[in-house]
Amino acid sequence: MKVVEINDVFKTYHDTEVEVKAVNGVTLSFEKGDFAVIVGPSGSGKTTLLNLIGGLDQPTAGEIIVAGHRLSELKPSELIDFRMEHVGFVFQSYNLIPVLTASENVGFIMSLQKWPKEKRMARTGELLEAVGLSDRHSSRPAQLSGGQQQRVAVARALAPRPQFILADEPTANLDTKSAETLLDIMEKLNRGEEMTFIFSTHDARVVKRARRVITLEDGKVVSDERTNHTS
Amino acid sequence: MITSIAWKNVWRNRTRSLTVIAAVTVGVFAGVFAMAAINSSIVQRIDAAVNEELSHIQVNNPGFRGSSDIANVIAEPEKVVSVLEETPGVTHITERIIVRGIASTSAGSAGVEITGIDVEKEQQMFTLKERLIPGTGSYFGTDTRLNSAFIGEKLAKELYIIRYILTEESFTALEAEDVPAAVVEKLRPLENQRFTAEKKLSEACSGLLTEKEGKLYGMRIKEAAWSYREGSKVILTFLDANGTQTGAAFRISGIFRTNNDFFEAFSVFVPHDELLRLTGMEEGQYHRIIARLEDDDLTDKASASVKEALPGLEVMSWKQIQTDLAMIADYVNQIYGIFMVLILAALAFGIVNTMLMAVLERTRELGMLSAIGMNRRRVFSMIMLESIFLSIVGGFAGMAVSAIVIAITNHTGINLVKYSEGLEAFGYSAHLYPTIGADFFIMLTVMIVITGIVAAIYPARKALQLNPVEALRGE
Repeated sequence: MKVVEINDVFKTYHDTEVEVKAVNGVTLSFEKGDFAVIVGPSGSGKTTLLNLIGGLDQPTAGEIIVAGHRLSELKPSELIDFRMEHVGFVFQSYNLIPVLTASENVGFIMSLQKWPKEKRMARTGELLEAVGLSDRHSSRPAQLSGGQQQRVAVARALAPRPQFILADEPTANLDTKSAETLLDIMEKLNRGEEMTFIFSTHDARVVKRARRVITLEDGKVVSDERTNHTS
Repeated sequence: MITSIAWKNVWRNRTRSLTVIAAVTVGVFAGVFAMAAINSSIVQRIDAAVNEELSHIQVNNPGFRGSSDIANVIAEPEKVVSVLEETPGVTHITERIIVRGIASTSAGSAGVEITGIDVEKEQQMFTLKERLIPGTGSYFGTDTRLNSAFIGEKLAKELYIIRYILTEESFTALEAEDVPAAVVEKLRPLENQRFTAEKKLSEACSGLLTEKEGKLYGMRIKEAAWSYREGSKVILTFLDANGTQTGAAFRISGIFRTNNDFFEAFSVFVPHDELLRLTGMEEGQYHRIIARLEDDDLTDKASASVKEALPGLEVMSWKQIQTDLAMIADYVNQIYGIFMVLILAALAFGIVNTMLMAVLERTRELGMLSAIGMNRRRVFSMIMLESIFLSIVGGFAGMAVSAIVIAITNHTGINLVKYSEGLEAFGYSAHLYPTIGADFFIMLTVMIVITGIVAAIYPARKALQLNPVEALRGE
C-alpha cells in the first residue's frame, strides 16, 4: 500500500539573482512499512524533499499525495492538522519541549488531539518502554543524554500513530552506541508497528540498516535501490 | 496542556521573568497606594461633610439660603417632617433655626452663622461632639446661668479666646513628645508669657530656635502652649424676628476642631430654645430641616423623592450643596482610571520586550511546535497566556503588597501635618488614612489581564509569522 506518492516534483528557490533547483523533477513512492533512507551530498535536496513530503513546504511544481491527501490542495491551517494527524517528525536536534518531562513530551501531540487521559497515559508508557526509557518518565530533556532525548523524540513522533515518520539526520548528534541503540529501536518499531520510516542522512550507520536507499544529486534521484537487510 | 506549558515557560528564564514581575508589582503598588491615599483624602472630606456639617438631605425655605433672612422660615414644617419620615432610608430628622450675626469678645469679633439646635437630636445625627477639644467644655453638658455656645477652634482663635502660654507643664509635655531637652531649655525665657496668636508665639520662638528646630518642633510647641480658659464667654449679636438688633452673652460649652477651617470659623451652635427665645420666633418655626440616611448611596434617590413630594421648598442633597466635593469625588474616580491605564501602559512595554525576547529565543522551538501540528490559534494562545501570567503574577503581588500597606497605614495614618494649613483651608485632613474599595481591585484585575493580552499581541503575531522550515533551520 502506497503511503506517499511524489510525482515529478520541483522545488525552486530564488536566492538573489540565482535560481536554485533544490528538488528537480523527483518521482518516488513509499510503501507502508518502508525503512528508507535518502542520501546524497550536502545541498542535494534531501531535507527539502523531506519537508515537501511532510507538508512543511510546498512544491513549485508537481504533486505529492500522502495518505490520499493532495498536499497542494490543503490550506496552511489544514496542512498543520494534516501534519499532526499523519506525519511524525524526528529532528536532528531532538527538539523536545524543554519545560515538559519525557512523559509529557511523548503525550504532547496526543493531548493536542484530545486523546482521553487514560488512553494517552497508556500509549505514553508503552512507547517509553519501547524506547527503553520506562524509568525516565519524569525527566526533563536537560536531564537526559542526547541519545535518550532522541529516543523520546521518536516516541513522541510515533505516539499519535502517524502514517509515517520523517527523520532528518536523526543520528547526526549521537555517538556510535547511542546511534546504534536508536536505530535498533526504530527497526523494531518499524517491524512491530509496521511503521514507515523515511530518513535523510549522511550517516553510514543508518544506510547500513536501510532496506531501501534513495540517492539524490542536485535535486534528482540518481538511484533507488532495495537492499537485503533484514536486521 | 497549553496553559501548563505557558505557565512553565514563564519560569524558563527566572531572572528575566522575576524582573518584569517585580516591575509590575512596584508599578501596581505605586499606583494603588497613591490612589488609596488620594481616595482617603476625598472619603474623609465627604465623611466629615456628611457626618459633621451637612448630613444627607436639607430642606429650606426657597429664599433662605440666598438671603439668610430670619423671616424665610419653612411653611408647614410638620408636613416636611412627615414626608421625610416616610422616605425610605431616612433614619434621623432634626430642625434648625439659623441666623447670621456677629460673635465678639473684648479682643476680637467675627461674622458667624448661629444655629439653634436640638442637642439630643443633633447628637444622634452628627459626630461633631466627638470633635470636642478635651478640656474646653462638655458640649452643652454643663449647667450654667448663661446661655451656652459650641464654637470652632478657628473662631476661638479669631476671638482670641485661645492663648498660647508655655508653662512648666508645657515643657514637660514637650519633653514627653521627644523634643530635645536642649530645645526645651532654649524656650525657658518664654515661660509664662502669654501670646494671643500662634503667629506671635512663632515669632518669639524663632528668636530662640534655629530655623531647623523651628520647622521640626514648631507644631509641637504650639500644641504644648495651646491654652484655653474654661468658661470663657462670647457675645452673639443678631437681628431678631422684628428686625431689631439683639444679642446675649454665651458661655462657651466646648470648642471643636475639624479639618474644615471655614466651618470652624463660621459656625456657632446654641440650644434651639435659647435662640428661639432671643429671636422672638414662634414655636415650631424653622429655617432648615435635615435628614440623615442609613446609607450614603441612597442620597440621590431619597433626595429626588423628597423634592418631588415638597415642590414649594428647596430640597438639596449634600452633593448639591457641596458641588465641588461631589465633582471632585467623580473627577478622582476618572483620574484613578487614567492613572492606572498610564501605569499599566508603561508596564506593558516591559512585558512586550520580555515576550518578544522569549519568542525570538524560542524560534526553533516554535517552528518545531508548528511542524508537529500545533496550530496558529494554539501558538497564539500560548504566547498570550505567558504574557497574562506575567502580568497577573506581578499584578496580584502588587495588589497584595498594596492591600497590606494600605491596611497598615489605614491603621497608623499618614501624617501630613506639615501641610495642614493649606489642606485644612480647603477642608481636607492633614492625617490620611488610605482606603480603597474592593471594586477597585476587581477593576484593576480586569485591567491587568487586558494589559497582558495587549502586551502579547505583537510578540504573538511575531510567533505566528514564523515559517516552520526557516524556524527549524535557523538554529
